[in-house]
Amino acid sequence: MNGSSTMILIGVGGAGCSIAQEVARGFGDGVRLAMFDTDAASGGYAAEGEFFLVGGDRLSGQGSGGDIVGARLAAEDSAEAIDAAFEGSRLAVVVTCLGGGTGGGATLETLKRLSRHGIPSIVFATTPFAFEGEKRLKNARGIMSMIEEEASAAFFLPLDKLVGGEDNMNEALARARDTLSSAISLFWRLVEKPGYIKLDEERLRQIISDAGRGRFAVASATGPDRAKKVADALLSSPLLSDGSGPVKSILCGVLAGDDLRLSEISDIADTLKSAFGDKCAFDLATVNDEENFAGRLSTVAMMFETAGGKAAGSDEAPQRTRHRHRVSSSAGSLVKGRFKNAEPTVWNGENLDIPTYVRKSINIGR
Amino acid sequence: MSNIYAALELGTTRTVLALGEMSQSGRLKVAAHAEIPSTGVRKSQILNIDQVSHSIRSVLREIEKKQMATGSTVTIANAYLVVSGQHVKAEETQSSVTVSGAKVTAEDVNAVSEALHSVALPRDRELLELQEQAYGLDALEGISSPKGMSGGVLKLNAIQIHADRNRINDARTAAANAHLEITEPLFAASCAGDEVLGEREKQSGALVLDFGGGSTGFAAYCDGYLAHAGVIGVGGDHVTNDIAQAFQTTQAQAEELKISAARAALSPDGGDERISLAGTTPLMETRTVSRKALDIVVNARLKELLGIIRENLEDADVLHRLRHGAVLTGAGAAMNGLDALVHRELGLSPRLGTPLHVDGFGQGAEAASFAAIAGALSYAHRNDDSKSLFQTIFGGFFK
Repeated sequence: MNGSSTMILIGVGGAGCSIAQEVARGFGDGVRLAMFDTDAASGGYAAEGEFFLVGGDRLSGQGSGGDIVGARLAAEDSAEAIDAAFEGSRLAVVVTCLGGGTGGGATLETLKRLSRHGIPSIVFATTPFAFEGEKRLKNARGIMSMIEEEASAAFFLPLDKLVGGEDNMNEALARARDTLSSAISLFWRLVEKPGYIKLDEERLRQIISDAGRGRFAVASATGPDRAKKVADALLSSPLLSDGSGPVKSILCGVLAGDDLRLSEISDIADTLKSAFGDKCAFDLATVNDEENFAGRLSTVAMMFETAGGKAAGSDEAPQRTRHRHRVSSSAGSLVKGRFKNAEPTVWNGENLDIPTYVRKSINIGR
Repeated sequence: MSNIYAALELGTTRTVLALGEMSQSGRLKVAAHAEIPSTGVRKSQILNIDQVSHSIRSVLREIEKKQMATGSTVTIANAYLVVSGQHVKAEETQSSVTVSGAKVTAEDVNAVSEALHSVALPRDRELLELQEQAYGLDALEGISSPKGMSGGVLKLNAIQIHADRNRINDARTAAANAHLEITEPLFAASCAGDEVLGEREKQSGALVLDFGGGSTGFAAYCDGYLAHAGVIGVGGDHVTNDIAQAFQTTQAQAEELKISAARAALSPDGGDERISLAGTTPLMETRTVSRKALDIVVNARLKELLGIIRENLEDADVLHRLRHGAVLTGAGAAMNGLDALVHRELGLSPRLGTPLHVDGFGQGAEAASFAAIAGALSYAHRNDDSKSLFQTIFGGFFK
């Protein structure tokens, strides 16, 4: 583990741990990785990072059997170990796959504990394929709003958006894993290996603070017109169309070797701004990494439907509490308002005490 | 001298105590009722027993004052409790007995009924209502009177409604602190249903939606009996809270907006209209909120609530049997556009539900808001087979 970073990557559940490992493996020793699962078998392949068996006494290391509540209770049982894993962290990236028990229940408890320790969290989560069945879809849908409530920022990757009906099953799963691990890797690299326009942890904390639900896409290209190819690929990504409201802020990371040209940065930035509106807050960061990106231009674009923290180059105080449309860690108690201390009303995994327009991301105008 | 019945509602937004008595015309009428804003109750559940006791003492005093003003004195020692809240659950249940001979006898019918009533609930649950539905005889279902029919196994289907015993005991404690004993806890939505629905409506299939401050109860009647019921822990308070959060107002301002301006159903008009909202103090400026935004916030909440109820009714295979329509009761029933939204989301023709068996609760929306407590008074009257019981309940009577 890298002792200097205060950013921690957390994998939750079998698939979440596996993806987190893939990111850590690709990145070398620069990632501080912790993995939580109720299935002891996940620990067997945990070659990177630290593995924590969650709820060992309750579930005997046999997994949660798809039981979200059971997994959450198991994570509560292991609260001490989970807390210890966070020690020294100032920012957490959590990766999980929704639909099963641990990915939902243990993720929620993990986020809650991060929030309690004042550690902002960014969640990357896949949602199930439609063919996985209504129960898993319902599990995922229910848990998404609760994740939004607990996390500072949350990205959900609907697996169905990534594949076509004729795709081979293994290829589809591999593509989903690649997309998620690429996004996290690029994101991690933006922070850990900053270039001319830096995205250090403090700035990232500001950007994602109360950012809420977002969308993301990654693209990579080579050749003389690589900037245009990247911009076109981003705009045509099905993942960026998976939103319900207008984009309020964009975080764009451009990663390349020493041949990165200013015109390429502005081409990508201008394309995104013109596509999503000039008025949205725009944050840009670059990475110059000749070793890994020689001749290649990669971009990760993250978009939020709510203007979150302080925008780049702005001296204004972060817009945090007024007229917000989504839920975040600090917003949890705010949006529950008079119900914050009452027993929650939960239906299909959704906390109905949170205003409907917030949970459903309904743009109310005003 | 007629008997007097008392019913108490410890709601999220209001505490109500009502007295009913038989009028000379032979109908039940409200002798007096009092209501005050509730404190210590959130989402239909007691959070502060002392505050609730104080509220109960206040409505008791209010009733006594009203009675003194009419030259009567009354000391209320006992009252039926109207219960709602998401801790209330409804379940289908069934008992069965082997028919003693070739045909079903009256004894067999009694035996299957006794077996039904002997079904035990978990220790933490308290029975509010056990309503028999229809009999089954071997594979034949839906029998209203099995006596004399041939068969081997007689079954009795029923719906049982039960609540968290601790929550009921909290209400008992709060009442006892105010020197009031709870006679029996009753389920609010079925009290309202029995009060506002006629037999023909129950036969043809009707849904009662009881919109409270902290929760919304529902009771579906088919073929003359209660077929399904439930409570969703979302009520008018949630609408108020959503408005407060959306427009950064106080709860009082949000409540005012909800009552005076909010519309449950979205309307194509009023796109640019702004609604004035007075400041909370004289020095605070009046501000405005968008009519359209207000409607969107309120519509989203109520549409979701009705969607949950719809899903519940569909899961119970009941919705398609509600041919008569929906009857809206409770303090939230008269919200602007709610009837249209109910029609749109549930496909049921709506009407306001006002008491059929108890006079004196006013008319229209006001009467609909008292449907459950009126139903509790009717229940008390229907079950008044021992007048001496009520003579012990009241320490004094109307002079």
